[in-house]
Amino acid sequence: MDQPVRELSYAQAIQEAMAIAMEQDERVFLMGEDIGVYGGAFQVTGDLVERFGADRVIDTPISELGGAGVAVGAAVTGLRPIFEFQFSDFATLAMEQIVNQAAKMRYMLGGAVSVPVVMRFPAGSGTGAAAQHSQSLEAWLGHVPGLKVIQPATPHDAKGMLLAAVADPDPVMIFEHKLLYKMKGPVPEGYYTVPIGKAEIRRQGRDLTIVATSIMVHKALDAAETLEAEGIDVEVVDLRTIRPMDTQTVIDSVKKTSRLLCVYEGVKTLGVGAEVSAAIAESDAFDFLDAPIVRLGGAETPIPYNPELEKATVPQVPDIIKAARDLVSGRR
Amino acid sequence: MPTEVILPKVDMDMATGKISRWYVEEGAPVKKGDVLFEIETDKAAMEIDAPASGILRDVTGKEGIDIAVGEPVAWIYAEGEAQAAAVAPAPEEAKRKEAEPVQAEPVVQFQPAATAAKGEGARATPLARRLAAEAGLSLDAIVGSGPKGRVTRNDVEAILSAPAGRMEAKAPNAPRRSVGEPSASSQALPAGGAILYHAWLRQGSGRPIVLLHGFGADLNSWRPLLQAEPVDAPVLALDLPGHGGSGRTVPADLDAIAARVEATLAALDVGALLLVGHSFGGAVAATVASRSMADVRALALIAPAGLGPEINGAFLDGFVRARSEASLVPWLKLLVADEHLLSKPFVNATLAQSADSELRGVQAAIAERFFADGTQTFDIRKQLAGLRIPVRVIFGAGDRIIPSSQAFGLPGEIALHVFAATGHMPQLEQREAVLRILLEMARA
Repeated sequence: MDQPVRELSYAQAIQEAMAIAMEQDERVFLMGEDIGVYGGAFQVTGDLVERFGADRVIDTPISELGGAGVAVGAAVTGLRPIFEFQFSDFATLAMEQIVNQAAKMRYMLGGAVSVPVVMRFPAGSGTGAAAQHSQSLEAWLGHVPGLKVIQPATPHDAKGMLLAAVADPDPVMIFEHKLLYKMKGPVPEGYYTVPIGKAEIRRQGRDLTIVATSIMVHKALDAAETLEAEGIDVEVVDLRTIRPMDTQTVIDSVKKTSRLLCVYEGVKTLGVGAEVSAAIAESDAFDFLDAPIVRLGGAETPIPYNPELEKATVPQVPDIIKAARDLVSGRR
Repeated sequence: MPTEVILPKVDMDMATGKISRWYVEEGAPVKKGDVLFEIETDKAAMEIDAPASGILRDVTGKEGIDIAVGEPVAWIYAEGEAQAAAVAPAPEEAKRKEAEPVQAEPVVQFQPAATAAKGEGARATPLARRLAAEAGLSLDAIVGSGPKGRVTRNDVEAILSAPAGRMEAKAPNAPRRSVGEPSASSQALPAGGAILYHAWLRQGSGRPIVLLHGFGADLNSWRPLLQAEPVDAPVLALDLPGHGGSGRTVPADLDAIAARVEATLAALDVGALLLVGHSFGGAVAATVASRSMADVRALALIAPAGLGPEINGAFLDGFVRARSEASLVPWLKLLVADEHLLSKPFVNATLAQSADSELRGVQAAIAERFFADGTQTFDIRKQLAGLRIPVRVIFGAGDRIIPSSQAFGLPGEIALHVFAATGHMPQLEQREAVLRILLEMARA
């Protein structure tokens, strides 16, 4: 890439992507609760209302179903809306529009229309926002054919994947972990895209593959550094997209390392890691497994308000280190 | 669920301990709180109680050996609980069970005897199962080091690389076709063994050069190259599966062959190496390099297969079918640009293999698998694109087996040498130049 690169936060990278998309294409506009003058619940839209005006940075009433419905309708009729939920938990209120309308319309109308809507979902725990504002519901939407569901883990990918999502003819759901918003990283200037449906190997290793999503990629990389000092060489795969999932990258990695650990914040049972595990068990990588597949996911409980308990319900770096150690040493 | 019995920490700074004696025999009933075994540390001996009641089974913590704290040493099964984790019984244990049939626990009846006898009931990882099957090993013969006696890759590889497994005796059907100096260090397993037939063609110091021959050839095909000029690096040549002195098996895919190469390199403790492959051996070499199991520091591919679909199918077909000099030589002429390079020893050595119907039969099956319908059915471009080591590709512009144009479009950091007036055997036709390139790579 020839463009100059600066350090931006994840939130700034998203804001820049939205600004570039709006500059390039007047059909692109933003909708969401408090995204105008207030700048968004997590200040992601910031001052975009001053740059693009209230016609293109639209504050919606507190009705997720209504807002999502307007966004889906606008997409069907030729616009390119980016709709922000204040918290991904409120996706539950808009399920009809997302699951029954956006995901199905192209199929049910024989391809006569497409629904190029982008929805952004601030997700995850760690902010003390308790049970109704801390969930990771990406697997819910990942279960719906017709949707694309992505979880960028770095500022670079947050910008590139958002621009890829805007260019995509189908509905793309972006889950952004709230603790990532302040994380900084290199981001090229100008327009570029990061492909949807392609995982990224963040670290090469020989002994164990950790497949992680979103913030867990960073925890896995932290764990890998500690494990390296112990002589355990970890490969970290950032899944990036959970639908359509890039299982081939995971298969190739597991064939190399013979061990798989899935780390994700969503509730462990019936989560993203279950799909990754099954993909390996069903593939030719099965015959390369030298240990059981292990999943580290969220606890089977609502996210507690108490900060210590909140931390205990999602995988942390020491949990990943222990699981990796047990796997590689043959204790599991 | 059976209860796990672990080696407890009985001393503040204890990392390992020894079990000095078991008070309860495998298969005997225990009550929670009974003394189960005695642990011995540097400072003291201590008796350990049973954590549950039931039948003691899967005793992996042998007396007198160092065991890490926290390791499982046995399992206690509830009365009547099926022993799901059947550990392959050691011969003495099996005998003891036969001698005391009345004492057999009812749980034993839940295991279909026939299944257990075939080793299918043994606990093993999928990888260990596959490696054992490829090497023709029974899982019953392997003591697993994993939890509840699970057999893992390391256990299988330990057997394969153990002195007993690396028999000095050559395979019964290993051809004796050495034409150069005696290869004293040649070793081979019987057909199906995991370690490939190999020979150190040169002793020396520095980074070893490992050579993988092409389809239908064997390690002797490298000897003319090494005579081109003095070679100071150690040179190891392998016979691929279904070739030369290696087992006459038809490998499932490139990964299966790569695994055998890796096992051989590991058993020989080759360490960091320059890997060189010709034609089909080039595709194997690229696969080995991309799997990162062996320590490949640089890769040289001579007229490699796997860069495009086209291959001379008539050559493959005619070559494996030829049984006489008259039917073989016309095909051999296609290998080189200048047919005067087809020396009498080369023709005779190839003919000796062609006379071996079984060998060529296996190779016909290999050709059918990898070059079905005259098409290269595999692709190494992806493997090459992921490599972060120096890679060089060497082609003859006049290659009539694999067109040299297939070398185009490789990643820019891969160097390409194309020799004019050269066919499919640059290592024979341009031996000085090719050897210089290889030595330069080995010294870099």
